[in-house]
Amino acid sequence: MRIVAFLFSFYIIAEAQGQDQKVIYQYKKYEKFDLGNLEVKGQLIAPGDISVRERDRKRFELDLYTRKDFDPFIKKDIESLR
Amino acid sequence: MKWLLLLLISLPVMGQTLSENLEKKKYYYSALNEFFLETYAKEITQAHIERLEKLLFFTGIELLEDYDHTLLEKYPTSSTRFILARRYFHKKDYKKALEYFGKVHVDHRYYPEALLLTAQVHGTKNEFKQEEASYTSCQKAAEKEEGKADGVKIKRYYRMIYEICLTNKARRLYKEGKFKESLDAYGQIPKQSYKWPYIILEQAWAHYQLGDYNRALGLLVTYKSPLMDTYFFPEAEYLTALAYFKLCLYEDSLIVINQYYQAYRPRFNQLESVLKKNRNSQNYFYNLMFKKGADLGKQEEFVRNIITRLKKQTRFSLDFNSIHKINQEMKRIIKNEKKAAQDEFIDHLAAVKENMISKINYNAKTDIFNFLETVPFFSSELFKVNLEVLSRQKDLVYSNRKLAVDRARGDYSNVKRSRFEQFWKFEGEFWGDELGDYSLGLKSSCQTVRMESAEE
Repeated sequence: MRIVAFLFSFYIIAEAQGQDQKVIYQYKKYEKFDLGNLEVKGQLIAPGDISVRERDRKRFELDLYTRKDFDPFIKKDIESLR
Repeated sequence: MKWLLLLLISLPVMGQTLSENLEKKKYYYSALNEFFLETYAKEITQAHIERLEKLLFFTGIELLEDYDHTLLEKYPTSSTRFILARRYFHKKDYKKALEYFGKVHVDHRYYPEALLLTAQVHGTKNEFKQEEASYTSCQKAAEKEEGKADGVKIKRYYRMIYEICLTNKARRLYKEGKFKESLDAYGQIPKQSYKWPYIILEQAWAHYQLGDYNRALGLLVTYKSPLMDTYFFPEAEYLTALAYFKLCLYEDSLIVINQYYQAYRPRFNQLESVLKKNRNSQNYFYNLMFKKGADLGKQEEFVRNIITRLKKQTRFSLDFNSIHKINQEMKRIIKNEKKAAQDEFIDHLAAVKENMISKINYNAKTDIFNFLETVPFFSSELFKVNLEVLSRQKDLVYSNRKLAVDRARGDYSNVKRSRFEQFWKFEGEFWGDELGDYSLGLKSSCQTVRMESAEE
């Protein structure tokens, strides 16, 4: 039992010491690029004319309601009689 | 107690039953109740049937609507069979409905109405030939009964049946896509008819289907007349916006839509709040029917317009007439009969009257609810038209085009009319005899032209 208590107190002390250690991450504060010295391999092409092919816009037509019959009116007429 | 009453009332004419004495004194509602009490346990004879028909002639059948099915079955009169047939019809038991409607006697006062409902049963079953034949028979029977009837109100009732049968024929033709024939049938209904304000919308739809948008718009303008201010239908507003849209008169279409949202939405909200507050009331709508215009709040004015429409229904006239007759009977009993007799009959009559009031209240409430139910649907359809108009306008902008015709004014050359129709210019006034004959003369703007840029 004493051994267990001793080991436990040792563990607590070690933990407490571990929490005190702070890790500091530092990033580069400054970096210089010399764009003039950068070399890009490839062909240099500039567009002579900007053109967009004309096409019809996609149109979404809503299905607008059209009355197909007057069945509800027939029912209502009958109900209005008595 | 009952025997004492019998003695008191039937003292002048011994040997007669209580119901017979009550009938003799023209206490028909009390007599009817007594008649059932006296005869229910007995074997029903022809004399009973004839007597019941006679009593029902004075009381009407409205108060029998809630009577037990078995009781009505026991008395095989045309009236009771008619009530039972209607019940089967509402339960969608069409076979039984046809059987019972078929039992209504040809010379009976409910025969035309039975034919109307028979046609309706055939229509529901898609039996078109039988449906049309029944409507034709209905028209003939209604005309015959109208000719025989004495009172103006009874004549009007048969005229109404006649016109409903005719209208339903037109509706059938519309459903079949026979729009011209349908318009011919609608054209037979006179402007004086109670049905006429309602069929304007249907006629406008038929013209719309035929592509005559100007005539459809002209018909719908009729609802703007002061004479028709009680007739407001969201569907008419929708059809107006749609017809303008079809003519590519997008601005006009948007005006109608905006007007609808601005003018009617608050009114619908008011109506809804009135309904919610009084949803469970047994007499609010009944009382509203008799409230004077001055006593109504501004928000209730729209409700009143709807109520005015409901008051023109045959159903209301019949029910209200029953209440009036019951009141008269109660007054006479209180005035002429002894206390014991009063106690016996007044309670029953009061209960019948209360029942009729509840019925009128319920019918008014459901009619208003049904009307309100149409509002969200057409509001949403109007919103769709709005979106479609905006989409079309955007298309014009993207394609650098504009509508070919400016909607500056209409022209006579755009009015389609038959050789029987005359032409008069609209001078900003509605004339009673012109209502329902209007046509706009707008030219379709659907052709577009490419817009010229400033540099060109």
